[in-house]
Amino acid sequence: MSGARGLESAKAWLIMLPSLILMTFFVWEPLFESVRMSLYKTRNVELVRFIGLENYLSVMKKDDFLQALTNTFSYTFWSLLIGFLLPIVLAILIGETRRGKGFFRTVAYLPNMLPGLAVVILWSSFFSGGPTGVLNILLSTFGIPPQTYLTRADWVIPIIILIATWKGAGATALIYMASIAGISPELYEAATIDGANVGQRIFHILLPAIRKLTGTLLILQIISVFQIMYEPMVLTKGGPDNASLSLMQLMWQYAFGGSMNYGKASAVAVIVTIILLLMTAVYSYFNRRESDWE
Amino acid sequence: MKKAVYSGVIREYDMHSASVRVGYAIIVLLCLLMTVVALFPLVWVILAGFKDLKEFMSSTSLLPASFSLNAYVLTWTQLDIARNYLNSSISVAGSVVCAIVFNGLLGYGLGILRPRGYSVVKKLVMLSLLLPTTISIVPLFMNIQKLNLGNSFLPLWLSFGANAMYVVLFVQFFESLPRSIIEAGHIDGASQLQTFFRIVLPLSKPICAVISIFAVNAAWSDFLLPYLVLRGASMQTVMVRLFVFSTEQTVNADAMMRSVVFSMIPPIILFFIFQKQLTENAVSVGIKG
Repeated sequence: MSGARGLESAKAWLIMLPSLILMTFFVWEPLFESVRMSLYKTRNVELVRFIGLENYLSVMKKDDFLQALTNTFSYTFWSLLIGFLLPIVLAILIGETRRGKGFFRTVAYLPNMLPGLAVVILWSSFFSGGPTGVLNILLSTFGIPPQTYLTRADWVIPIIILIATWKGAGATALIYMASIAGISPELYEAATIDGANVGQRIFHILLPAIRKLTGTLLILQIISVFQIMYEPMVLTKGGPDNASLSLMQLMWQYAFGGSMNYGKASAVAVIVTIILLLMTAVYSYFNRRESDWE
Repeated sequence: MKKAVYSGVIREYDMHSASVRVGYAIIVLLCLLMTVVALFPLVWVILAGFKDLKEFMSSTSLLPASFSLNAYVLTWTQLDIARNYLNSSISVAGSVVCAIVFNGLLGYGLGILRPRGYSVVKKLVMLSLLLPTTISIVPLFMNIQKLNLGNSFLPLWLSFGANAMYVVLFVQFFESLPRSIIEAGHIDGASQLQTFFRIVLPLSKPICAVISIFAVNAAWSDFLLPYLVLRGASMQTVMVRLFVFSTEQTVNADAMMRSVVFSMIPPIILFFIFQKQLTENAVSVGIKG
């Protein structure tokens, strides 16, 4: 390695330095700090003393932790049930249209551009329980009496997932569409000669072609479900009776819900981090066997 | 736009079969249904904004009694939404600049310059993609407080300069640029930094456009960190204000719906201006998002 190359290298690092400082300050150091803080008793922004795993134990001992953990997996379950196949179906449907494809694509993407908070507040009017709730107005035209929605423990999570799906499914569908559009039409035509009908072409050509993408989007969807926090915060405050409380919301409550217990909040954050890393590791283990995943 | 080759599963010759034609009609109907589901809530909230409180709380009609803009104007002035619009604009403008400059420079280093040891940083960036940033919002907020950066837009702007996804998008794009053009700049005696601003960035307009749109929208919609950082009422952005409304219930339900409409107007305008970039370019790069 010549001196000139070494100098170039040093200059290149210098160019990246400001960005690296920002990445460290906003992303990497806070992650590390979460772990450290979770092991300390904290008072306001100060670390008082090292207490080992005490924060974890005291967080896990409380009923709301188990509830939030179960809820978070319940969110994941409903999200996969409602939100996983829908974008694939939408992508196939929009991809088949011969006229208005651009219009349908635009419409599908639009909800994704809207601020998440505004979307949640908007939908809260749809699901409000009185006779003036939008859904109840719509139901009344079919002669169905007003129902309650967000106050039902077994409905609240599916409803929150429905709202998230309304916002995100179209954008995900466009990603699938881009992948589907890459399939050569000659494949379908060759399959037709071999006697394959439309359904068989979808199952034997289209779906296998997007399988790898499907796996990647699945893991990204799970990661995004674990971020659910402000949706129940705004819609139900985690209720009824903690039925919609998520892990991230529990973290927020410990930190900013009045008690300012940053140590316990960090313990919850670390638990979520570990779950996410474990799931990603399992995913890439299974995926690596088939292909190189970046 | 050049005419694209029709790439659907249903080929022209399939349309001779009656059952396929029925199937196709169902596909179109389902797409129309999707359109209704996607647009109805938006149309409804705009209509609901025309209702005054009494009508909002009692009427079981989806249409407002009158289409006078009075209610909107009244909410806009009474709540001084203009102030929040201004704050949001300040927040968005700085965030976009930081998003392009800092992520672009890091992408330049990792995608083109590649100094010794760059792959370690690249791996770290890839790894950060997997963890949502909200997860470490508590220590981040503490750091901001320790540096006395509370009640300032600076930490919000800079936070957009540290976005793993934008870095990855830049790296992918830069790697696709022809090396010869960049090396030509070197031979002309341009420094690495000059090469970035004079050669690489001008070649990278498409990716800069996409990342700018993403950043504008993300900065406009963000409210968790802004809520923690911007404590003074005079600095609140539109979304922070909406968040405060929703958690403290300090405004009536009708004014709340109008605030929701106000918060959606800029993203919708942005969307209609850039819908082509968003639905075509953003798709191909959005996969990593």
